[in-house]
Amino acid sequence: MRSDYQIILDLIPQNSKVLDIGCSDGELISLLANKQVSAQGVELNQEKVISCLGKGLDVIHGDINLMVEDFPYNQFDYCILTQTIQAVQKPDVLLNTLKKIGKNIIVSFNNSARLSKVARFLLSGSFDSLLKKADSDQWYNTDYIHPCSIKDFKKLAKDLNLKIISTFDVVNQKKFIDGKIPSNLFCKEVLFLLTNE
Amino acid sequence: MRNITENPDYPGYLLKCNESLHLDSGKFINEFQIAYQTYGKLNEQKDNAILICHALTGDQFPAEESPITKKNGWWDLMVGPDRPIDTNKYFVICSNVLGGCVGTTGPNDINPETSKIYGMDFPTITIRDMVKVQKILIDELKIKKLLSVIGGSMGAMQVLQWAATYPDSVKSIISIAGSLKHSAQNIAFDEAGRQSIMLDPSWHNGHYIEKNEKPENGLSVARMIAHITYLSEKAFQNKFGRNLQEKKDLSFGFGIDFQVESYLRYQGRAFVDRFDANSYLYMTRAMDYFDVSEEIHLNQEKIINNEIRFLVLSFTSDWLFPTRESKEIVSLLNSIGSNVSFAEVVSDRGHDSFLLDEPQFFRVSEGFLKGIKK
Repeated sequence: MRSDYQIILDLIPQNSKVLDIGCSDGELISLLANKQVSAQGVELNQEKVISCLGKGLDVIHGDINLMVEDFPYNQFDYCILTQTIQAVQKPDVLLNTLKKIGKNIIVSFNNSARLSKVARFLLSGSFDSLLKKADSDQWYNTDYIHPCSIKDFKKLAKDLNLKIISTFDVVNQKKFIDGKIPSNLFCKEVLFLLTNE
Repeated sequence: MRNITENPDYPGYLLKCNESLHLDSGKFINEFQIAYQTYGKLNEQKDNAILICHALTGDQFPAEESPITKKNGWWDLMVGPDRPIDTNKYFVICSNVLGGCVGTTGPNDINPETSKIYGMDFPTITIRDMVKVQKILIDELKIKKLLSVIGGSMGAMQVLQWAATYPDSVKSIISIAGSLKHSAQNIAFDEAGRQSIMLDPSWHNGHYIEKNEKPENGLSVARMIAHITYLSEKAFQNKFGRNLQEKKDLSFGFGIDFQVESYLRYQGRAFVDRFDANSYLYMTRAMDYFDVSEEIHLNQEKIINNEIRFLVLSFTSDWLFPTRESKEIVSLLNSIGSNVSFAEVVSDRGHDSFLLDEPQFFRVSEGFLKGIKK
């Protein structure tokens, strides 16, 4: 199982209502459903939508950049964005909407300011290394249009009045306490639990 | 008293009900019958039954060869052995709607009170009335819970009405190219069609059968108007462009010059042979009156407690029941906290896409049915 999924499964209590944005073929929502969590996904790729439906999962087909406004307010206990925030057109607009439709938001992403990444960028002189998702990705066709560091995200959360409840270093599955944040230079993947309260 | 017999006029069965049916209008129909057809086998647990609700001009023969058109049934691509609604697995029921003209009680039947043809004395019916009659059929077949209720267009209205009115009796719902309520534009098109029928001198205030006539011109123009709304601009352009019909030059007259004119006239004429004008009036009225939002709110607890699973489907080029209206269904179902899925299928063939060969649409529906737990 992906390590960010493990953290999320531990975070979300039973009988919660969850919206997984960019749910792919439904792995996470199906894990959550097994835990008596009522989970719904949003997915753009129709093949993946079909795969979710075949597993008996609830999924809404559509572009998250356009459709989150269709969800009624205060519907979900948790909205989840795993490895998605860097691919949406306007992360601030999306987070603002999620704030209205759900109580808590879980965001995980790869830290673009990690030293090894930055070093590779400096040595190669190419942005490809910073923006890569798949091997075939180049700076002009990547989905990762918003590289963002842990520091960047903290600032955005503050600007949007989102309170950070906890943060995790995903690779090491390590929770940071007392408001501590994983290192902007060394942490590869980070997960934030935020609340609108 | 209710009893089921074979249908003497068409393949399938008749459920005759010697009882009065209380309609939304406050009026009653004192005797009525439901014509229906079934495909596949009902299993012992009676938990593999799927009800298909037909659209405005459909009938109870979605699969196999239609006894009416002698062509493939209107949803032959969707329903049958190894089709998305697989009749090897499911027991499929489809009935002609109340007010229809293929065996279920409608305006051209004899009014038992007067022993005359109802005509416009037939009470105005609603989608809810249609569904009420379907529920009687399902009860008579001793089916407690339908595995799914599936329909497109006017069929989608019935499907949503099922969830709203009989939430205890359905496990899942597939609404295809539908809406929560009929839009102003759709009411406008319906009214144009009705006026075309009612202004035909052969309509005789609805009593054309007694006069041995048929408002053929009116009904065929109504169909021409409606048919335009079922396609898309692109579908027309791709199919016909500005091609001329069997001629090289414009005629400078008002005969048929363009292929698209010939096509529309043919559609209108062919429709008159298989459909009844009064049924058309009653059924379009039922669609105009449709607005299910309030009842869904009213019964939201039951919808949630029964864990009904909804699949809402739309087509990109459908401008009669556009994606936006399907999203309104999704939004309402989400707001009550129900289990809802949605997919928009890319097609440039307009509203009629749900009746055509659209592989993505079939795969989405099939996938969803596969995921329903019995």
